[in-house]
Amino acid sequence: MAEMNIPDKGGKGGKKSRSKKQSTRVDLTAMVDLGFLLITFFMLATTFSKPKAMEVNKPAKEDDQEVEEAPIKQSKTYAIVLGKRDMVYCYVGADDATGVKVDSVTFSRTGLRSMIKDRQNAVQQQWGDKDELFVMIKPLPESKYRNMVDVLDEMAITGVKRYAIIDDFNSIDSLIATGSGNRLRPIKGFNSLKLK
Amino acid sequence: MAKIKVARKSTFIDMTAMCDVAFLLLTFFILTTKFRPSEVAEINIPASTAQISVPDRNILLIQVNKEGQVFMGVDDQNTRLRLLEKLKERYNLSMTAEQTNSFRLLDAFGVEMSQLPSLLSMSNDARARTKQPGISLEVVPPKQSEFMDLVQLIRQSNEEIRVAEGRPTSEIMRIAIKADKDADYEAVNEVIAQLQQKKVNKFNLITSARGAGDSGAAKE
Repeated sequence: MAEMNIPDKGGKGGKKSRSKKQSTRVDLTAMVDLGFLLITFFMLATTFSKPKAMEVNKPAKEDDQEVEEAPIKQSKTYAIVLGKRDMVYCYVGADDATGVKVDSVTFSRTGLRSMIKDRQNAVQQQWGDKDELFVMIKPLPESKYRNMVDVLDEMAITGVKRYAIIDDFNSIDSLIATGSGNRLRPIKGFNSLKLK
Repeated sequence: MAKIKVARKSTFIDMTAMCDVAFLLLTFFILTTKFRPSEVAEINIPASTAQISVPDRNILLIQVNKEGQVFMGVDDQNTRLRLLEKLKERYNLSMTAEQTNSFRLLDAFGVEMSQLPSLLSMSNDARARTKQPGISLEVVPPKQSEFMDLVQLIRQSNEEIRVAEGRPTSEIMRIAIKADKDADYEAVNEVIAQLQQKKVNKFNLITSARGAGDSGAAKE
């Protein structure tokens, strides 16, 4: 491939020639091939994208001391109920189920994100500070884990400071659940630990 | 006028530099590669815009697959050995040295504790082929679930090891949950609820990275 070493034949026999100079050139082509083969292997075997983590801090549950927090005004709240098939139902809390308007949206920039932004603006106008908004995330048992992560993600993107994942449902939520064909209670014997 | 002869160039290319480059890159890749550990269950993680990287050592990894089965694993081998001692005591298991060693090398497991010895006697290949049923979350009062037992014992073992090795309190084991994006929320919620029973209120949800511009439930 690279060089042909033509053996030095003949010449003047008889006379002892000095030891013939061998070429010091080594053909490295195969070595390069090997190198790149191994590189290819390592490139393909390497995991490049490291997974990221989302920090979740749950409030500590104190069994012995009942901490009564000050109730939050309904006009500062926003409830996001997650159902199956990636559906989201949002409403602004009210004291009775008469004047509640429930919007069903999907996860998209024009859906949930704009709803949250609208709600932030409304709170901004009413209370003068959009950080007063308190979002209640209520995943129904049949919603997917992905949906919860997406909503937490929306909280980060829209910059909502106060939100909580809530597992107990009120009458409005049960209306939403039955209206959309979601179960309200888990079936598999889950949540057998009902906390006092 | 004689014709000018075009000098014939040698076709030999000096490969030395090429070879150097190849091996330099090779060295880099060898030194930076971390191989993917074998997976106990197939899990597709959801994407999020979170920026924190997952701590790569000293974590308790709780995996929840699509069917809601739960698998656990600790990365620290000393903790694993200490945990096995405690498990033997708690569930009256007997282990050969071989089984102990295979538990020391086991990244994650998901069987009922009574089945653990038979899982450990399998060869690595056989273990990779069997579908493990997941750790039991069932609570039968007055006993707590095996999952809660494990969480408690793993944290105890890790704490003992940490004190024995004299590492600072900042090196307390972190708890990460890696759940499939199509897992039902109630399964994940049950895991979290039982963790909270064991006074774990801070954990990481493992997600893959995504830009902030993408919409949430983009259908692939």
